Order: sequence, then C-alpha cells, then structure tokens
Amino acid sequence: MSNDDHILIVGGGPAGSATALAARHEGAEVTIVDRKTHVGIPVQCGEAIGKTGPGIAEIEIPEESIRVPIRGFRVYSPALISVDFAEKEPSGYIIDRRVFDKELLARAAESGSDVLLGAKVIDLTRKNGSVDGVVVRHNGARKTIKAKVVIGADGVNSEIARLTGLRRSFKPADIDSCYGYEMVNCDLEFPDLMEFLLGSELCPRGYIWIFPKGEGRANVGIGIGGGFGTHTAQQYLDHFIKHHEIAKRQLAKAKIVECRVGALPVCGPNEQNVVDGALLVGDAAGHVHPITGGGMGYAIVCGSIAGQVAAKCVSKGDVSADRLQEYETKWRKRYGDEFAQSLKLRDLLIETEDQTLDKLAKIVTGDSVVKMASARKVKIFAKAMATRDRKLITLMKELRKLKMV
Amino acid sequence: MTPTEKTSKKLAKVNGEICGICQACATVCPTNAIDVFEHYIVVLPDRCTGCGTCTKVCPVEAITLVKR
Repeated sequence: MSNDDHILIVGGGPAGSATALAARHEGAEVTIVDRKTHVGIPVQCGEAIGKTGPGIAEIEIPEESIRVPIRGFRVYSPALISVDFAEKEPSGYIIDRRVFDKELLARAAESGSDVLLGAKVIDLTRKNGSVDGVVVRHNGARKTIKAKVVIGADGVNSEIARLTGLRRSFKPADIDSCYGYEMVNCDLEFPDLMEFLLGSELCPRGYIWIFPKGEGRANVGIGIGGGFGTHTAQQYLDHFIKHHEIAKRQLAKAKIVECRVGALPVCGPNEQNVVDGALLVGDAAGHVHPITGGGMGYAIVCGSIAGQVAAKCVSKGDVSADRLQEYETKWRKRYGDEFAQSLKLRDLLIETEDQTLDKLAKIVTGDSVVKMASARKVKIFAKAMATRDRKLITLMKELRKLKMV
Repeated sequence: MTPTEKTSKKLAKVNGEICGICQACATVCPTNAIDVFEHYIVVLPDRCTGCGTCTKVCPVEAITLVKR
C-alpha cells in the first residue's frame, strides 16, 4: 500500500483473487482486504466446479484442492425417476474450498498483490461523489485506505453493495437458505456423479445434493428458498438423511464430520454493478446460477473481466462509471442471456408440480442426456408434445432453450 | 431511547451456540440491523424493528424474536 494509485479489492474469496490476478497481469497495484483472518473457512459451498465451464480458462484449478473428478450429475424427480447428465470422461471436479480459496489468495499475493486480513469495511470515502477509498476496522482501530477503484468481492452480504447503493436488502425469496454436512463412511452408488434430488415436500424451491468427495466421503446438503417450507433447512436435511430411500441406501453408516450453513443469492445479477470509482463481482454482484446455485466459475470469469477493465481505467486515469461500464457490458455479453433464461426457467420450476416433474423425468430418463443422439432428442421432444400437458411442454421448451435436453 | 426502540415491542436475538454465521439474516434485514463479524453476529437494538424477516431464512433457527 505504498501509494493511493491502486485497486482495492474487498474480499479474498475466488472472485476477489481472480480480480486481483487479472489486475496484476495488467500491471496495476492491488490490495485485497478481508474481514476474516482465514479465507475459505467456514466452507459454505457444494464445492463443485466444471472443467470446461466458466472460469477454467481464466484460472488453473490448484491441484492440491482437487478431491475427485466428476463426470456429470444425476437428477432424481420427486418420484425418484432419474435423469443423467453425464459424460464418459470427467467434466468437472469436487474441490476442497478451504484449500482452493487459500491457494488462489496465495497466488494473488505471490503475483504482487498486498493482502490485509481481519479488516472489516465500515464505510466508503468519496471525492466529488466518486468512491475513492474505504474505512476499515483493523486490530481495533479505524483506518482509511485510499484507492483508485474499490471492488466489492465481499459475498452475498456485501457491505460494498450496500454502501454504494447498488443493492438494498434481499427479500427472503431472493436467497437460498442452505445447510450441509461433510460425511464419511458413505456408500455412494455413483462415486463420480453428483446427485440432485427434487421435491416440494423434500426441499421446497430447492434441491438436496450428494456430492462425492472420494474415499467414501461426501458433501451432503440442502438449499431451500428463503421463506419457503415449514421447517428450517437443517430440519429438512436431517429428515432426508434419516428417512429417505436414497439416503438410506448410501448414507446409512455415514458419520458427520462437519456442519455447514450458507446463504446464496438466486435472484439473478444486480441491475447495475458499477458506480463512479467502484464495482461489484461474484456473489456481491449476484453472479450465481439461479437454479444450480453455482457461482465460483462466474465469479472467476467476471472477476477476471473486472480486474482487466479496472486496471485499464486506472492507467488511463478515468474511473468514472461510464468507463467502468465496460465491465458490465462484457460480462453481460458473456452470461447475460444465460442468467435471464435460467431465471425464467427457475420461476417456471417454482410453479411446476411434482407430478409434472415426474412425467417429464419419465420421458427423458434413459441414456445420459448429454450423450443422446439428436434423433433421440427429437423423439423425446415429440413425446413431450404428445402429452398435451401445457405446463410440461412449456418446461420442455425452456429446457431446450438452455440446451439441457 | 431511539424511535425504533419506542415503537417495536420485539427484538431479534442470535443464539451464538447455534449460529454458523452464514449471514442469511443480515442479507434480508430491511433496516440493516445485523452486523456480521468473523466469529459472531450482532443485532443492533436501535435499528431492529422486530419484523422477523431474518427468522424466515435462518437454516438452523439460530435467530428468533424476543420481547424487548
């Protein structure tokens, strides 16, 4: 922090570290501050990341964080009809977020970024209305850190989003309330597939996941819509583990070695993520898939874009919202449609009854969807049409738009 | 006494023994009355209106409404 000529990133998770790496690559001075004293802990994540999905071109996944390669996933409809989306070869990984986050932060620091841990942002400073720094509490004292651009990579409960006015509080339904366990002694049927279970009684507006972590270990969790359902996420998950057929088959002897809680924004990106002198990335920007809840990949790609744009703006001496808008334009070009379509599908899914999901699963079940020949896909589509079930047909069309079926 | 304290009869309270600091409560609080630290969460009594929105999203029932 030798001068004020730097980019200040609030939050040392994957979004912040990816932003820092990209900005350093462009030659900018970077400082990362984090409220916590260890990043990646507590883990609040399903810990799955795609190999070819967003984020991987920008960053090499730290090898020591990889737990197990994954070929895809299997979805169980409420009546337990399964639909597979699996490749022959591994298409992603289950990682260990404790190692992953720390390693990315280490890389950011090694690339020349300064890191200040245990620094909680309490305010922004402004000059002529433009953000030009933050006020933090660190070691019990107030401290002002000036910067050219402030980047909020501070998660779902982003202080920077609040202080810049880019987002007010969420409605309960905007977020998913999550609970999960790391378990050992699991007897998984598919040690290289992620499993998702759906059902309005099982997990209202959400899903239960069982992700293998290798050697009989698994990350088992639930996300339910905020304000949905009659119980807490923890109660729904415990009930599942104790009584559900799928859990009994795989988790009867399993032991819990870690409990996890989490919240994630599933309402799509913020309308605007840029103001004069500041911008938002990652969960703070709402860069989370509204259906899967996946966010790491988007955080890394959009963070990389933000880092590049911010560095360019700093070197040109203009960090106005007009110039930083290039970040907004670029990430929207890449993911804008994907988020919008997924949101539409999500809203459709909320209204879809369990029976319709079962009907659809019955039509699609069989070979892995991703490996299906196009002729078979056409057949499936025709079958869906033949049901004359309006809701099912709409759902099928939306899934098709997303190239999921 | 602040205006909020005069008008609201209830107050959100966090049970630190259960809370896992997921921050769900803080993200939905309409009056920004929940402050998150590394190892604990604080409800600011002068801002909390006792509306109970936070209790709807807690995954573990760690936040509840109590009488002021």
